[in-house]
Amino acid sequence: MNTKPWKHPLGQAAIVVVLAYVLFEWGIWLLPPLFGVASAPVPATVVLQYMGTVVVGVLIWVSDSEERWKQFKAPIHRVMVDPRQKVLRTALMVTIPLLVAFMTFDRVRPTVSAPAALRSVHPAPPGQIDFRGETMVLNGLENPLRHEGDLEEHYEEGKRIYVQNCMPCHGDALDGQGHFASAFNPAPLSFQDPGTIVQLTESFVFWRIAKGGPGLPREATPWDSAMPAWEDLLTAEEIWQVTIYLYEQTGWEPRTWEEEGAEGEEH
Amino acid sequence: MRARAMIPGFVLAAAVTCAASAPLAAQEENALGRDVYDRWCASCHGYEGLGDGYAATWMLPRPRDFTQALYQIRTTASGQLPTDDDIMRVINEGMPGTTMPGWEEELSLEERLALVDYLKSFSRFFAAGEAPEPLTFSSPTRATEEALADGREVYELIECNRCHGIDGRGDGTSSPTLVDDSGMPTYSADLTENWYFNGGGTVEDIYQRLRTGLDGTPMPSFTDLIDAGVITDEQLWNLAHYVRSFAPEDPPGITEVIRAGLVEDAPLPEGVDDPLWESAEAFYIPMGGQIIESPRWFVPQVAGLWVRALHDGGELAVHVSWSDHSESPDTAWAGFQAQVLAAVGPDEGDMEPGPRPDGLYLQFPMEIPEGMDKPYFLLGDPLEPVYLWHWESTADGAQEADARGLGTMAPQGDASQSLVSEAAFSAGRWAVMFRRVLENEDPGDLQFRIGEPVPVGFAAWDGDNGETGTRGSISSWHYIFLQEPTPATVVVAPLIATLLTAGLGVLVVARAQRREREGAEGADEGDA
Repeated sequence: MNTKPWKHPLGQAAIVVVLAYVLFEWGIWLLPPLFGVASAPVPATVVLQYMGTVVVGVLIWVSDSEERWKQFKAPIHRVMVDPRQKVLRTALMVTIPLLVAFMTFDRVRPTVSAPAALRSVHPAPPGQIDFRGETMVLNGLENPLRHEGDLEEHYEEGKRIYVQNCMPCHGDALDGQGHFASAFNPAPLSFQDPGTIVQLTESFVFWRIAKGGPGLPREATPWDSAMPAWEDLLTAEEIWQVTIYLYEQTGWEPRTWEEEGAEGEEH
Repeated sequence: MRARAMIPGFVLAAAVTCAASAPLAAQEENALGRDVYDRWCASCHGYEGLGDGYAATWMLPRPRDFTQALYQIRTTASGQLPTDDDIMRVINEGMPGTTMPGWEEELSLEERLALVDYLKSFSRFFAAGEAPEPLTFSSPTRATEEALADGREVYELIECNRCHGIDGRGDGTSSPTLVDDSGMPTYSADLTENWYFNGGGTVEDIYQRLRTGLDGTPMPSFTDLIDAGVITDEQLWNLAHYVRSFAPEDPPGITEVIRAGLVEDAPLPEGVDDPLWESAEAFYIPMGGQIIESPRWFVPQVAGLWVRALHDGGELAVHVSWSDHSESPDTAWAGFQAQVLAAVGPDEGDMEPGPRPDGLYLQFPMEIPEGMDKPYFLLGDPLEPVYLWHWESTADGAQEADARGLGTMAPQGDASQSLVSEAAFSAGRWAVMFRRVLENEDPGDLQFRIGEPVPVGFAAWDGDNGETGTRGSISSWHYIFLQEPTPATVVVAPLIATLLTAGLGVLVVARAQRREREGAEGADEGDA
């Protein structure tokens, strides 16, 4: 009893378990962003799995040596039998069942959540589309304005098209935080996000702008998307111009058909 | 106007005598500021800072004209220039309730500092004279019952209600006459939505805006009332607390699922003012302009709906309420509506000012979907129609309707109408209640089922803001979930778990104690 808690096997085991829990629950989620690395909360089931591993590891370690195992058990045993520990014993025998009761209640109480919608964010594009009555082959299609006219002018025109049409949802900063964004679910895409336009060829972006939500394949839940079908409001040139603006403004490079092809061969 | 008159004489004199080329020189030296401005700000505020960028006419209020040096959110006296920190604050946090976002996370501190200087260089006023001095603000007082009661009296004494209305919803009698200094129609703030306050929604923010006024808008400064001894500084704090009390403690979160509570021991509400609604859980549905199909609408007035729902196993009652400046059509607002329609783009078809009702619909699929498939969220399409509860302020009660796409909404036949509804407009707030039996014999109606999420969408129109047809505000799909009776397992399962755990504990301890008595050595072997 005189030993410091962190020198006693039971104390060490408790410290390891608590530290591990803090790390899994909050550390993995909150530490990397401090160094500029994106992270996300660990799902509860995964935390449970990790904690199971940690507890088994700790038990193996404490039972590894006879001496340590005895030391580890001694305080537990004392609480169970020592007449002087009666208060603590009684308190534990009341609080532990109550804790279990609460945890059980938390599991069985009725909760309400929206039905899970499995949604494909980057659905496979069609090989060709019909744009205002004309067939456009998307496979291998480059943005024609990259070699036609003045890029600076296309960018400027794209800027005008963007703020007049796209900005209310996708935001001034192209971060998906426009002033109407909260009205729509799924939320408008952030073009700053490394998972959006940087993964796509410009012809894919053209297809998404031209056909919008109604033109999505079924696996991408077209009924939920608020993205308009812009072919009704913008010309092909305007769509290519706003595409140039999206890449120039975010600083991303569009995916090229060479990269697309290379990936295709690997699969 | 008061604000302009108070620009100190020496500033004006200095500005006039100062060489007109001063701002230009300052701009040329500030290459970083110009790059950031041209890249991110000019599309709305214009390359020359005139507030005439590409999207300017799509917006109400218009983007700021920096050449006027008129800034709403300041810590300086009315009519004074803002401090650098004031300008930085708006760049960082944006102007909630307008199209101006915050840039703190998008731009580096160096870029934002350069931007502050660049914005100032658009106006000669900054180049002349000394740096503006912020006002000294007293510390906040406590929001006691007495303070709030006094704040309420001050609210009426200094006539806040003339514009903001008696319940703070912006429905005051002067509201339809308001224009800003650029001649654009402007709405008095809805004080129940403090998350949309241009200068922030805390009590400190409110106090500061009361002291400084919002220059360029009809909102005056009340510092002169303190100086004249009409009210004390403490009373202005009381007023700030009272104004803050119109809004909820925290801004509402977005809920995907509206829970319809089960009412077992009382009749379902008969009307909008039934006290049962006060105990029902309220869900906030944010709304956005219909900018998907032409003609589009970029300046909707219904920013969000509060939805409550209850059922008794036989019927479902839904209560929807929202802030509205007027009970449209209200002739007092006819001129305002004309100004709004004249001010906003894009021009997508004929739109003459005229008397238009307020409106609301709740949209459902024709039947509860089996999988994730739903009708198109914007009133369905020819293949998958939607079923609607549609209400208009000029119609006699709500109607059931169908639609197969935007612009195709049509009421069901008289024989099919089965909705009970009531609507009331009071102090700037619409409340509309719908009631229908869960399951009926009408094949054209959705049949509700308890315990299954039912997709629901919303749209709303403010007639006096010129909204009608496709020009209004919309939401995407949410769900309404009719709560089931509490299952027995909720009580039984924790009880069993408790008994098992307690019993096991008693057994283990009793066994350990028995062994202890029988001899310490035996216990080790037993455990192993």
